[in-house]
Amino acid sequence: MTTQVSTRPSFITKVPAMPRANLLWQIVLVTRRNLVTIARTPAALLPPLAISIFFLIIYESTLGKAANFIPNLSGNSYLGFILPLSIVSSSLSGAGIAAQNMVRDIESGYFDKLLLTPVSRAALLLGPILAGALILGIQATIVILVAMVMGLESASGIGGLLVVIGLAVLLGTGFAGFTVSAALGSGSAAATQGASFIFFPLTFLTASFVPLELLSGWLETAARFNPITYVLEAMRTVLLTGWDGAVVWQGVLACLLLGGAMYALAVRALHVRTSRK
Amino acid sequence: MSNGAIVVENLVKQYGGGVTAVNDVSFSVPVGTIFGFLGPNGAGKSTTIKILTTLALPSGGRATVGGYDVVSEAAQVRRIAGVALQDIGIDPLMKPLELLTLQAQMFGATTKQAAARANELLELVRLTGAVDRRVGTYSGGMRRRLDLALALVHEPDILFLDEPTTGLDPASRRDVWDEVRRLNRELGMTIFLTTQYLEEADELAETVAIINQGQIAVQGSPAKLKTAVGTESINLAFDDRNLAARALDELSQMGGHVQMDRDMVRLYMNHAAERIPAVINRLRDANLNPISLTLTQPTLDDVFLQVTGQRLRTDAAPQATDQESA
Repeated sequence: MTTQVSTRPSFITKVPAMPRANLLWQIVLVTRRNLVTIARTPAALLPPLAISIFFLIIYESTLGKAANFIPNLSGNSYLGFILPLSIVSSSLSGAGIAAQNMVRDIESGYFDKLLLTPVSRAALLLGPILAGALILGIQATIVILVAMVMGLESASGIGGLLVVIGLAVLLGTGFAGFTVSAALGSGSAAATQGASFIFFPLTFLTASFVPLELLSGWLETAARFNPITYVLEAMRTVLLTGWDGAVVWQGVLACLLLGGAMYALAVRALHVRTSRK
Repeated sequence: MSNGAIVVENLVKQYGGGVTAVNDVSFSVPVGTIFGFLGPNGAGKSTTIKILTTLALPSGGRATVGGYDVVSEAAQVRRIAGVALQDIGIDPLMKPLELLTLQAQMFGATTKQAAARANELLELVRLTGAVDRRVGTYSGGMRRRLDLALALVHEPDILFLDEPTTGLDPASRRDVWDEVRRLNRELGMTIFLTTQYLEEADELAETVAIINQGQIAVQGSPAKLKTAVGTESINLAFDDRNLAARALDELSQMGGHVQMDRDMVRLYMNHAAERIPAVINRLRDANLNPISLTLTQPTLDDVFLQVTGQRLRTDAAPQATDQESA
């Protein structure tokens, strides 16, 4: 390039040698950008939140009275028992938001443009996932506030509520790893939407409406292998009976295992998408 | 360091199923020039640009961009190359400054540098008036200009434009052309441009390569290529293909190069105007009556027609300046 002519006019300032922006900053940049676009599509945000609240109200009013006949639940509020299920379903919708962002970028071609920059691949993956997690944290908080208006009392106070939100965010991050993988793998909004529903049955193959001890047969077996069971258990324990470190850690561990596996899946999906053919 | 900003040697790209998209392509683009890569849909233009911009791997041969190998030094290539692909990749929900700032930050600019650069580029592509609008509301021409600005964020030495004016109205095409010329002249940027429009290559490029079915059919400066086609042509239209085919037979015996395209026959020869009476007489003797006769100065279109045997201009192409005159 010895003969490169360089007569740059004044309207183009020479940008000093650009170093590679550090990873953390890149993640912040991509996450922030995803939050901006999420905020500009409120239509994608409100229905999932409304459905979570709707479920909460329906379950409470149809099953709340019957719950007194469930032996293990005697003396506890069914609201505190059913709230975690509603929260878990909002985690699913948060994961959906992350994938929708990813798939929109793929469809618009913006994703390819980002791939042609030196940005870290990890930042491209984590940006939408973290933005989705943040949104679902806010949604979980709103659902909890609604539950409190309905009469929820946390057995472990504010700290317990924060644990519930934290678990919801962790779980949602794991789900998002999966839905983002589907987005990367398919590159299609419809397929991504379809894949997001795979987790939906998981919220029922668990101790959804009654405590785990009351389940039997294949459903009990399924529930024992379902990570959501342990997350629900942890949330219910802090809401209904109080602090129990072991149960909470079990829930966190379940989230981390799910999240780790799903993130690995997402990394793999990104690798396949970006491998030059 | 190198003989050119872009050097391509015996490039091959095969896809699964035995499809060869690019077949032994070689060319070189001198630093600071505009290179026009011309061909119909599916000729191998986009595949070549994808290989050169590191989005795809070649199956054979080698290519360097700015002296860097596109396979083994992809990261370096990305730093010095700006790319505006045919499908404009911009998120419709974002605003222009957000896109430009983020892009600059991705290349390592600080927040302050990125903001300054974004404003500068927006001015360069004259979009400051639409600064508060989401990109989704932009017209095709505005989107192209913004996409061009995004490709320029890191001050590339070499700019790749894949069909930059496809789908644009004539006024927007002119805008893009002006921009491309300005970048080349004022910044000394080397520009590799693919196009389906002969007129575009003629307007902008110092060197043109015509690619057809994965192979370079001919390359050189537009002027040189036009001269090589020979000279003028006499164009004769007939009622149908059969008549045209018969005319082709007749005219092929007149000395000069003949070509048929649907119901049209073209006869390339020197001093064509003086030969018109002879042509008419010959056709009349064979009982062939053309429905129209025109005389054409050579254009790149003719070059294309001559080297590939088909017309390039598609129905989707905007109105081009046709120099045919009766």
